[in-house]
Amino acid sequence: MDPFSVLLILILSALSTLLYIFIGILPGTDETATMAPILLTLLLAGVDPLLALVWFIASIAAFKMADSIPVALAGIPGGVMAVPQVPDALTAKESGLADTILRKGIASSVVGQFVALVTTLTISYYLMPLGDWLRATDEILPNVKVARWFWILLAGLLILAVTSKNKWLALLSIPSFALGIQGLRAVYGRPVYISFFLGITIGPMMFELLSMLHKELKKNYERRGLKEVRLAKISKIPLNPLKILSKEEAAQSTIWSAVTSVLATVMSPVGLTILIGDLIRESKKDKIRGSVLAYTVRDSIKNATYIGGTLIPLLVIGQPTGPMAAGPAMPFFQNLESLGMSARDYIVKNYDYVTIALSVLVASAIAFLVAYPILVKYSRKITLAVFRRVPAEALYGLFIAIVIMLSYYDARLAGVFGTLVISLVSGALWKLGVSLGVLFMTLVAAPTLVAILTGLPI
Amino acid sequence: MSEDNETYYELYGEYISLKELGITVTISTILALIFYSIAPYIASSVGLPPAGLMITFGAIGASVGFAVGIFVAKVKRVVKEV
Repeated sequence: MDPFSVLLILILSALSTLLYIFIGILPGTDETATMAPILLTLLLAGVDPLLALVWFIASIAAFKMADSIPVALAGIPGGVMAVPQVPDALTAKESGLADTILRKGIASSVVGQFVALVTTLTISYYLMPLGDWLRATDEILPNVKVARWFWILLAGLLILAVTSKNKWLALLSIPSFALGIQGLRAVYGRPVYISFFLGITIGPMMFELLSMLHKELKKNYERRGLKEVRLAKISKIPLNPLKILSKEEAAQSTIWSAVTSVLATVMSPVGLTILIGDLIRESKKDKIRGSVLAYTVRDSIKNATYIGGTLIPLLVIGQPTGPMAAGPAMPFFQNLESLGMSARDYIVKNYDYVTIALSVLVASAIAFLVAYPILVKYSRKITLAVFRRVPAEALYGLFIAIVIMLSYYDARLAGVFGTLVISLVSGALWKLGVSLGVLFMTLVAAPTLVAILTGLPI
Repeated sequence: MSEDNETYYELYGEYISLKELGITVTISTILALIFYSIAPYIASSVGLPPAGLMITFGAIGASVGFAVGIFVAKVKRVVKEV
């Protein structure tokens, strides 16, 4: 790799980190809505896909480290992945441990990212020869060819469905939602992904928002006065992350980061964060120790699942097989007209494994070198400034505008209304207990599912 | 205790005014689509592919709308340092 490319890797990693520290601290920012559009923008603007991958990996490092800052200080999640940490953070805060969990969360983020990188890069290296076999198709019905990786996706989809709060509806929604998706794509006359993903992502928000336009339902959401946010004071945090975690915290973070980085190939990062964190918390008799340990390990799992959920599908399978690859990382798998292939194919064809591995490792190292001191020194000031100066309406306005713009890009005005339908259906299903991960994965599986459904002799 | 006794609505853990939300969505969306629409003219003048620039400009337009929204909408949080 030439020195100019190395310089670009350093600059892009640093820029991505600075942007996603800010985005991570903003309350309620969703990963798909903030990572996928910017990634897509970079790829469509002609940025080399490997550099886009570097940007993406650095954004994971910064975002996942920063989004638990408002959780630790005020009990407000800075992103969807931080939502499972809220109960643990509130327990710790009540016991005066806000700064303890803040520093432990930041330190274990570093552990999660690097353990996941080492695990997934090693596994991917040995599994890459399987890629062609996984992408090969078998004719299972007359004129219906199914790629072998589809069965991995389907297994993950069914596991997610049966672990949803409403498992029967989740299972029923799979073929129904798939038919709706393919129906809209047939109307548009082209395969559409990003606006549909964003539609699913904002589904819960749109459902609640439009419920507020209903005379009776809006009463459930009414609140008088301003929202009180209690921001904890913190003492000085040491710069050395190795002194922050106990042996148990370091060991559990390491083990679960390695395990969940692989599971995230097909399973939901949020689901894994909830599942493993709850198991860890319940394993301790002391409620406070359980909450601190669960909070810490969840922070490492957040990074690990995002890394594993991106890299294994990217390097080995070549298709988005899980919610992470099918959500924030989806632009890597879409065909780009300028390249004549997907960004993923371009990376794998033009760069050797060592270059790819070193690039993502360097991106993570730069991200942590930039983010860690900033968050350790300024996290409270940044959080205070955000809570005092950034109205929620401005933030939600930005998200909805980006969704509308990308929907328009996909299919003009019809695309905007199509995304509205997707978001309303997703929001309603979510409200009735179907995990959004089921809908994301159904979106990816839809073409094959509908081909099988319509090819059946019944 | 907050002094503001207006009625707001809770969305995703935040209190919002539906009127202000409508204004910020409108401003951000209009700016995003305006910037999106002028991007092909700028792209052709500098020799860049239009698709990438359209989304970039659209995102910039939405971000400008966000910046305007910060002044248009009021913050509905009272921060207490404990």
